Amino acid sequence: MSDTKKIRIFMTGVGGQGTLTATTLLAQTVLSQGLPVTSGEIHGMAQRGGVVESTVLIGCKSPKLGIGEADILIGFEPMETMRALPYLKKGGLVVSSIEFMPPLSVAMGKQTCPTIDDIKKAVSACTDKAYYMANQSIGLQAGAVQSGNVAMLGAVCAAGDLPFGPEALEAAIKANLPAKLQAVNLKALELGVAALNA
Amino acid sequence: MANPLLGDTPGDTHLLLGNEAIVRGAIEAGVQVVSCYPGTPSSEVPDTFYRISPEGKYYFEYSVNEKVALEVAGGATLAGALTLCTMKHVGVNVAADPLLTLCYIGAPGGLVLLSADDPGCHSSQNEQDNRIYARIAGMPVLEPASAQEAKDMTRDGLLLSKKHNSPLLLRTTTRVNHLRGAVKFGPAPDPGKAEGFKRNPSKFVPIPAFSRPMHLALMERMEALREEAENSQYNFVTGSGEYGIVCSGISRAYVADALENAGLSDRVSVLELGFSYPLPENKCLDFLKSVKEVLVVEELEPVVENDLRILAQKNGLSLKISGKDVLPRNGEFSVTMVENIIREAMGEAPVPACECTLPELPMRPPNLCAGCPHRGTYFAAKKVFGDDAVYSSDIGCYTLGILPPLQAADFLICMGSSISAGGGVARASGQTVVAFIGDSTFFHSGLTGVANAVFNSHDILIVVLDNRTTAMTGHQPNPGVDKTVIGDNDHPLDIESAVRGLGVTEVRTVNPFNQKKTLAAFEELKALSGVRVLIAKEPCPLFTRRVYKTVAPQVAYVAESCTGRFECLDRLACPAMYKEGGKAAVNPILCNGCMLCLQVCGHIKAKKRGS
Ligand code: SF4
Ligand code: SF4
Repeated sequence: MSDTKKIRIFMTGVGGQGTLTATTLLAQTVLSQGLPVTSGEIHGMAQRGGVVESTVLIGCKSPKLGIGEADILIGFEPMETMRALPYLKKGGLVVSSIEFMPPLSVAMGKQTCPTIDDIKKAVSACTDKAYYMANQSIGLQAGAVQSGNVAMLGAVCAAGDLPFGPEALEAAIKANLPAKLQAVNLKALELGVAALNA
Repeated sequence: MANPLLGDTPGDTHLLLGNEAIVRGAIEAGVQVVSCYPGTPSSEVPDTFYRISPEGKYYFEYSVNEKVALEVAGGATLAGALTLCTMKHVGVNVAADPLLTLCYIGAPGGLVLLSADDPGCHSSQNEQDNRIYARIAGMPVLEPASAQEAKDMTRDGLLLSKKHNSPLLLRTTTRVNHLRGAVKFGPAPDPGKAEGFKRNPSKFVPIPAFSRPMHLALMERMEALREEAENSQYNFVTGSGEYGIVCSGISRAYVADALENAGLSDRVSVLELGFSYPLPENKCLDFLKSVKEVLVVEELEPVVENDLRILAQKNGLSLKISGKDVLPRNGEFSVTMVENIIREAMGEAPVPACECTLPELPMRPPNLCAGCPHRGTYFAAKKVFGDDAVYSSDIGCYTLGILPPLQAADFLICMGSSISAGGGVARASGQTVVAFIGDSTFFHSGLTGVANAVFNSHDILIVVLDNRTTAMTGHQPNPGVDKTVIGDNDHPLDIESAVRGLGVTEVRTVNPFNQKKTLAAFEELKALSGVRVLIAKEPCPLFTRRVYKTVAPQVAYVAESCTGRFECLDRLACPAMYKEGGKAAVNPILCNGCMLCLQVCGHIKAKKRGS
């Protein structure tokens, strides 16, 4: 294991967003490249609107990722990106959604969410390598809201910090997703890669 | 195409969840009977067995509770079947009675008990360390740390259990159950038929005269298993150096990554104990003698640490042993936590701390889903009883009713306790008690509580929140359901007849989305005394969508006339609602169309979904 360069990816989102499906797909992509992969997820009561956190670790044994350890942070919801920032290694890669899913206290007007600018500012204090995208809109454009997550994975693969590119993700989609979901997700992948370069 | 988990395809590699790997391991061993009670983090084990059961060659059941599950498993192994029984850590408390005596009786067909522990309380009421049960009961323990080991240890544990006629504990933790990793398959032989029960009362009937020799036999068995642990491939030493680490369970992964991160892999000796009980004393003693100092890395209780301290003392060794003096006895470890302790011992600087500071962000606590029927029941109960009643709660989605604005959970002990502990409050104080319990929990251990309340004339209103499924853990069937993911329930039990059969005369059944009738029923039962039962019956909308394949035809919307008083949001807190421009609004994508809010505020209306 020690000859594989370790890469630690932290993913975060809101229950019901498809974070775990995206995690598994990314782990399958890593595995298909012949790399040792461990992934972890915590989803106790998550389907009832809580935070979902997951990891994909290349070349590591532990399924868990600690503060300051993540090479890559993928935030499927902007406020959760901000909450997860302590996990990011200084100078790591961030790919984040800009579309909020306000928690109840915010929806009820009892608390306020940070703005996108607050979030970008907090991120830039940790790293200059950050990309933002409207994942839900991209997902809808591709044909299903949840496929926005795959668009973000596409962007991560295209950003160049992983030992493989978007073609590996494309192959994993074809090999692992049920036939009826493939077209939408391949489209989302394409849009995600384009969004990174935009 | 058959499910890959069932195929006899040695050499195949699949990316599996730890819980799926356990299923595969059992299939490779030739498992014949599987019983369980679902509970996070163990749930995907039985759920996977259940989903593939139409093609599988084993018998599978969701038992009504863990005690029953283990008794079914005990009977099966006595009949010669290779058997797996699964539950979460607190489930073992429920099953403890049969467990301790089952270890006297033995497991002729082989029996592995999966206990999924939850350090960090990700989804549990406590974080007890069930390796201690193994010590009380007398059963060997395997502790996997990867998906591959979850598979291999399940297979080897079942075979070892059969070989030694001893129940075996497969102890996982949340991180192991919910990790994903590559798993290389071995062969999956056809399990064939169980050998059948062979009569032998002196071995199987623990009357005192027989129990005494059984206890001796148990102790002998454990010595034989200690030999197995000495030679087990799951117990091994890596690295070298005068500083030693002994670790078990997922801590082994943390130690491995910590040493690599710190570049210390070559300067530290590590004894990994995957087969951690009975302790391989010779192997441990050799290790203790080879180092000057030892750190024991294990989450929760100092179980291995204490074993090693005893071993060192017995053998007159004076090396320094540390463990719980430097690592916490609660919660989960992390790589950095372990790394810093090793670094300090080796005289290296600690990992630089994270300097990133964040403003306080709004929390995102889980909430009852949009359209959850429990919201209607709680809303009505609070309207009728307000803050005057004591609300006794139980374990399920409905525990989330603790959050404001509903605040309908005042105390909670364990599965089924709402009725019995509620009775205790009423008896002791004379306060009004409303006890909430779900349908699955009712069958798990609520029935005995009802019998007790009737027998002892408690004054209590029991509300059965019957959402037609076990929603909390992922919609598993329970005796009351009509439909399951893989078909109809042939023998649905009726809760109303059950409580009447137990002697309750005042029973009402309502649909909680009909507030008028629900309020009336609460009022009516409030005026009475003794044991009264209200059954609030309406399926969980997530379950309806998945299994009945239906959704409510309408969604709510807020009319222009909204006065901005926000009664709906403040009192219901349905996650589909939000404030916008001084008025309330409903997100039509999240709205499940329960029409509860329409009954709370006249400015909310219904429209056709999608219009
Ligand atoms: S009808 Fe009202 S209470 Fe029910 S889910 Fe929709 S918004 Fe929530
Ligand atoms: S899963 Fe079902 S029962 Fe549980 S909170 Fe959601 S709607 Fe309610």
